[in-house]
Amino acid sequence: MNLPVYIQIDLSTRKIRRFQIDKKMFERFIGGKILAAKLLYDMTRPGIDPLSDEAMIIVNTGPANGTGAPSSSRFNMSFKNLMTGGIASSNCGGNFGMMLKKAGYDGMILTGKADEPSYIEILDGDVHIKNAQHLWGMDTEKVQEEFPAHYGKIVIGPAGEHLVHYAGVLSGERVAGRCGAGAVFGSKNIKAVVAYGTKRPEVYNKEKLDKHVEKWVHFLQSHPMTGTSLPKYGSAGLVTKANATSALPTKNFQRGFYEKAEDISGETLADTKLIRNMGCVSCPIRCERRVKVYDKDVKGPEYETVGLFGANVESADLDIINEINYIADIMGMDTISLGGTIAFAMELKERGIADFGVDFGETGNIPEIVRKIAYREGIYSELANGSKWLAEKYGAEDAAIHAKGLELASYEPRKSVGMGLGYATSNRGGCHLNGGYLALLESVGVLSTDPLETKGKPELTVLMQNAMEAVSGSGFCLFTAYSMIPSILFRLGPSHWITKLCGKVLVWVWPVLGIIWKFMPWILPFNSMFLLPHAEAVKQITGIKMTTGRFMQLGERGYNVERLYNYREGLTANDDSLPGRLTKVPQDKNPKSVVRLDKMLPRYYKVRGWKEDGSPSKTKLWQLKIFS
Amino acid sequence: MSFFITEKCIGCTLCKKLCPVGAVEGELKERHRIKERRCVECGVCGRACKQEAIVDSKGNVMKAVPKDQWKKPVIMKDKCSACSMCVWNCTKDALRIAEPAFKGDIRVFAELSDPKKCVGCGICESVCPLHAIHMEVGGQ
Repeated sequence: MNLPVYIQIDLSTRKIRRFQIDKKMFERFIGGKILAAKLLYDMTRPGIDPLSDEAMIIVNTGPANGTGAPSSSRFNMSFKNLMTGGIASSNCGGNFGMMLKKAGYDGMILTGKADEPSYIEILDGDVHIKNAQHLWGMDTEKVQEEFPAHYGKIVIGPAGEHLVHYAGVLSGERVAGRCGAGAVFGSKNIKAVVAYGTKRPEVYNKEKLDKHVEKWVHFLQSHPMTGTSLPKYGSAGLVTKANATSALPTKNFQRGFYEKAEDISGETLADTKLIRNMGCVSCPIRCERRVKVYDKDVKGPEYETVGLFGANVESADLDIINEINYIADIMGMDTISLGGTIAFAMELKERGIADFGVDFGETGNIPEIVRKIAYREGIYSELANGSKWLAEKYGAEDAAIHAKGLELASYEPRKSVGMGLGYATSNRGGCHLNGGYLALLESVGVLSTDPLETKGKPELTVLMQNAMEAVSGSGFCLFTAYSMIPSILFRLGPSHWITKLCGKVLVWVWPVLGIIWKFMPWILPFNSMFLLPHAEAVKQITGIKMTTGRFMQLGERGYNVERLYNYREGLTANDDSLPGRLTKVPQDKNPKSVVRLDKMLPRYYKVRGWKEDGSPSKTKLWQLKIFS
Repeated sequence: MSFFITEKCIGCTLCKKLCPVGAVEGELKERHRIKERRCVECGVCGRACKQEAIVDSKGNVMKAVPKDQWKKPVIMKDKCSACSMCVWNCTKDALRIAEPAFKGDIRVFAELSDPKKCVGCGICESVCPLHAIHMEVGGQ
């Protein structure tokens, strides 16, 4: 078993320490966001300021990174969340994770603050902190051109330098946007980290891994979602589906249906703007869009960006959406929080509360405003603090669409109540992915469990949150988990009686799911291509006796550690909430079209084994062996 | 383990220019040196060196091979998933994912776009998770 090697850099003293994760820790927490959460919990003091010298940012990989397993390029960053005050984890594709491993390290921990603008160079295991005065101020595109093309790079843009609360970090054109990682780097005076080396990731059983990967790639290619829909239409292919089920946020989440949704759908994007599709390194799904902006071949928008700069601001202009996406990328910003904040600013103007020069239906000036936010120019500095901050200053809290301070993604939870529960309980705030992405089973997938039914949703949310936590922690892209939905259902279609029956069964088996959790590590003592092929890959890469049950428990362990961190920072059950618009005002005439957190949360805590205040019980911590 | 440059080296810089991972250091007309931690033992330096100044990790002197006899990657389209592991690992910029054959074509493959840039290091072959690449003399 090859144990992960980490490097800890104190930027204030320039002290560098190399250390190995011990065997017990590795077997329990594996890597990525799960191991990072544990390290962050153990190595930082409660109550620190996320932008202080004392704050820590962990950039790490999972065991799969760099091995060539499908969609395994995603590296993770964990730190104290600028938006919520709890834990933050943010991950993206790009080649940094693979190159960090090739340079000799599985993870990097940064503390302190460099006394001048700097970048970190990691070459063949050697670490140097170098002056970056000449790079400071550059956008994310230009700064990456300053380094050799084959280096793995993470960089921040002007938004990170100016401590925009939702500034992201870029690797190539991929963005780890959420939670403000860019601002944490900016606060430490770090413009970039580059890595290169030729070390091969060590694999426990290469032959078996290769066989598994070959089968898995074929499986992904033959699946209607990962083999056809995502490569053809990208994640934006979900626009039409979300709109059809009234789950596409429109006019700052006032509605869930946008009349012009077809004009901004993934299909229209593919027909009119798409040059070709592309993929992250090691990914056979290739969902990335390539479009033309300012006559340049650049990355196209994801579903979230299309939703939040399209329907949610009542605009159907794909050219402007592409432009906003590009500007946000080169400035280094999260398009979800940015979109949510701008839509809230539009509503503030509509209500006559504050005027930031933005109006629903008028997006022509947004690219310029995005630049102003990145540089914190004038009043736009206020928008750089996010919706929660704005609502605290101006009021209208019912219309500030965030959970714990992090803006919601582009799924309207009143027509996807399980997604609402996920948003509210997600450890990093209003995130669809960390929240369990129940929208997939309620409103944008082929399976449609009753999107207004609260029964069964806590159990399904726990199941999905844990599965996705484990997939992320191992270093895989969450899109590989799409294949858990049997392809036969896609072929039959959403209106076929078998598909409908499956949707109903999923909701009504909730008592069974509740029981399954009590026996989780033992109840699934096998690995299957049809459930979570990631478990078998982790087994062959690490040599750990991983089964699907243990893999799910790994996810549960990660979720609990993150929750513990949040609880220690003062986030409790009171913070598992959503704005009044979503919990009190029905979306339409059906009084059930509202997120009944009061109904779902108690059951959710029970299934999780948490106390009423939302903290993990001692029994749960003992079961998961988090501290023993 | 790593390759090694002997005193036969005349400092012509050819190996330094060709090395796909930047493992060779040295100035013109000075004896070059191979960084042990960087070397991937691909043999490119040895095949290019007419002075026979390169010794492999087992101590064997590498023989020069004419450039037209260097192996090039052959990509099996039926196996390739266009995952780009080869493209990202090729520092010579010799590989790319082919343009779609028609609008909306999603079944694309890796291809040797610039055979002249390829030095035949075989890194693409070694990183391909699907074993869709093999190195052949005259292949492209």
